[in-house]
Amino acid sequence: MAGTIVLEFPSDYKFLNIVDLVCGEIVEGLCTGHLAANEIAISVIEAVTNAIEHGNCQCSDENVRVVFECKNDRLCVEVEDCGKGFDYACFLKNIPDPTDVQHLRGRGIYIMKNMMDSLDFEMVPGKGMKVKLEKLLKPKESGDVIKD
Amino acid sequence: MSARCALGGPELRIESREKNGVVILDIQGKLMGGPDAETFKNTIHKTIEKGGKQVIVNLHGVDWINSTGMGILISGYTTMRRSGGDLRLLHVSDKIQSILYVTKLNMIFKCFDNEDEAVASFANG
Repeated sequence: MAGTIVLEFPSDYKFLNIVDLVCGEIVEGLCTGHLAANEIAISVIEAVTNAIEHGNCQCSDENVRVVFECKNDRLCVEVEDCGKGFDYACFLKNIPDPTDVQHLRGRGIYIMKNMMDSLDFEMVPGKGMKVKLEKLLKPKESGDVIKD
Repeated sequence: MSARCALGGPELRIESREKNGVVILDIQGKLMGGPDAETFKNTIHKTIEKGGKQVIVNLHGVDWINSTGMGILISGYTTMRRSGGDLRLLHVSDKIQSILYVTKLNMIFKCFDNEDEAVASFANG
């Protein structure tokens, strides 16, 4: 993939379909395995879900912007919302145990953190929260087996 | 991006059937929160009201799921366990498997690829 691909859409869950399809098409053309492709798709959907639900509070007047960019050996994805942001440093230090079935929420960031090679947050003044995801692109032969 | 590209797609649909005393919930669509949570929760409560304690959630028709959708399944699991029953998963896709694995929820949910084996598993405890 050369260049940058940008998606911008209102905060509505129905657009997750489009994000999933575009993400799938982008990843398919990259040199990466099936497992890594799934991890990218899952993480991007998590970030966009958070942007719609928490960032923009499902307000359809507020847009979500997703930027895909391939940089040498990695795919970089940025997801921006128009929200007030949150104390991500505090959240990252206190991520709830994902196996605790008493918690029905709070696994999205855990999933992104563990499926991507890099996860970062940035508050953009006058705009909103930006989530930055990076995944190293590996040969298709490697990393395709889920081990127990 | 032809027919696959429809915006939104179908709402979550759940059909309930029974096999050897085990309730099988066939799910179609995307499990991602919002009204889906209420739909699934109502189905689980109706199942319990009818005396159902052994539930298999058939995910064959689920394109994808997010962490909110995973929370919906966890809610169903805990509800069934509290009522003395259990909830197991059937036909888990690669993507859902990846989420279960990374969150270690694969240690909580029993997953099956074969419906008869899933049904028979309740007889084995």
